[in-house]
Amino acid sequence: MQVLRLEKKRLLHFLDVVKKGFEIIAPVKSDLVRFSKIYHAEEIYLEKQSYFPVKEYFFRKEETLFQFRGTSITVPAYAAKKRMFFGLRRCDLNAIKNQDIVFIGDMGDPYYKAARENSYLLGYHCNTAPSPYCFCGSLDLVDFFDLMFFDKEDHFLVEVGSERGKSLAEKYREFFTDSQRLITQNEKRIPGVHRLENKDISGFYDHQDWKKGADICLSCGACTTLCPTCYCFEIHDEVKTADPCKGERRREWSSCQLQEFTRVAGDHIFRKEREDRFKHRIYHQLQYFKEKYGVQMCVGCGRCIEGCPTRIDFVRILNEMKNGKTENNG
Amino acid sequence: MAKQKTTVENPYLPKPYKILEFYRETSDSFTVKADMEIDHDPGQFVQVGLLGIGECPISICSDSREYIQLNIREVGNVTIALSKLEQGDTVFIRGPYGKGYPMRYLKGNSLLIIGGGCGVAPLKGIIDYAENHRRDYKDLTLLLGYRSPDDILFQRELLEWKNRYNLQVTVDQNTHGKFCYGAKEGFVTDALESMDISNNNQIAFVCGPPVMMKFVIRSLKDKGFNDDQIFLSTERLMYCALGVCCHCMIKGKFTCVDGPVFRYDEIKDLENE
Repeated sequence: MQVLRLEKKRLLHFLDVVKKGFEIIAPVKSDLVRFSKIYHAEEIYLEKQSYFPVKEYFFRKEETLFQFRGTSITVPAYAAKKRMFFGLRRCDLNAIKNQDIVFIGDMGDPYYKAARENSYLLGYHCNTAPSPYCFCGSLDLVDFFDLMFFDKEDHFLVEVGSERGKSLAEKYREFFTDSQRLITQNEKRIPGVHRLENKDISGFYDHQDWKKGADICLSCGACTTLCPTCYCFEIHDEVKTADPCKGERRREWSSCQLQEFTRVAGDHIFRKEREDRFKHRIYHQLQYFKEKYGVQMCVGCGRCIEGCPTRIDFVRILNEMKNGKTENNG
Repeated sequence: MAKQKTTVENPYLPKPYKILEFYRETSDSFTVKADMEIDHDPGQFVQVGLLGIGECPISICSDSREYIQLNIREVGNVTIALSKLEQGDTVFIRGPYGKGYPMRYLKGNSLLIIGGGCGVAPLKGIIDYAENHRRDYKDLTLLLGYRSPDDILFQRELLEWKNRYNLQVTVDQNTHGKFCYGAKEGFVTDALESMDISNNNQIAFVCGPPVMMKFVIRSLKDKGFNDDQIFLSTERLMYCALGVCCHCMIKGKFTCVDGPVFRYDEIKDLENE
């Protein structure tokens, strides 16, 4: 892959120029770090991992599927704004890749597709683990980006990862010089992110240690909301109070951690126990998704652990299960 | 906001259909016939709903390319709203979804159909299918259980079924002393146990409340049925029916895509989920 060089002092200028043609979305620090639209390139904050994932820009928290009036249905058309995402970590990028599998590959979701189509993905390589909860090194992440920025003290090495990235680099050629070298696999390694020892959890379903997490879980759903890959949702209809013939059908984020998630008519709840719900999330992330699509869904960003009000560290729990396997008849 | 006309490729969009017939089956359930012309397998389902109210998954209980019949029990928002419909009204449907009963691969067998309560609805699809392909299947044995004589579904069809097939109807409690359609008091499982039936060239189809399915499977196993001779139809909460929203997951399987019909050996490890 082609590698370019961008002087650090020129980054802000580069982004300011890019901003004329694109909407730039990058991590910004307010109360917490989150991806927001930036107005000035100086706003970008790359010290820490963003608290919120970037998924809401593609798979929106709330989406109008269609509007209706009486029995006629209209679908809102989306303005195809060109967006450039800057500062995406390796985990964020892989999370986008995994959601692409679900929404584009599997069922062709037109809303997700429209949001995704005009988006350019510019990554920022972590030289060190940006959060103590990271464990992306334990999972099989791949290179997935248009451009990837490797921070090298006074300059960036920019790896081109796609045709789109290539055209972008050509468009803003004046900022880049040829680096005359390639990015080595060693440079792509992130130190200190190999916490998860136990990637295959198929034998642990009945393990007693799930209680360690389930007993302190509040079923609040913070983990699934902050997860960059979790993709479940609900569909509801909303009507105008003044005119009930008019309204819209909406899709909203949901969470498998809520008891309501599996409640059917007649009040039967299939995953009534907290432990079952907690386990279901981890199994979906590490096993079920892989059974269906061939890759693990979890990307090891650790946001579900950082954002958990009781700091349930499922990575530690899984490691303990592995290490105590023989005693527990696992 | 700029609007565009509805396009066919959007999988979330339902289409309007006319109700050809509305028939009240029992005090809390009804059957609607809609003019939806689709090719489907018995056991597949559609998302049926009303704009402004919502959608719910209902299995198709007929076998025709000219219309679909849906038997619906009034238990939630959407189903109660649907119960207010009349002939000629519009209903919004998308589908069919899911994997139905693989009838084509079961030719030459006898069919043992065991249903409980509103679980009889998807099984009626098999009965109608077998009727339309009568030469492909041997005997049909229907074993249908309800709570009380008032809850017996498909009374219009029952007499015909009684004449053509080996039909047994059971009621858990016989509240007012009269037995119609030769119904017996007791559970389906009791009737099944006293039945002289072997697994020889016999396929069992079971649908009903989870407890009933559990005991029926146990008693089928006692009679020598193999796991791959038993088909179950499962029920879960679902929104998208496209294998995305995750509500209907039974461990790693999606009821809406991998099911709702499962062969017992596919899901027997998932029993408690």
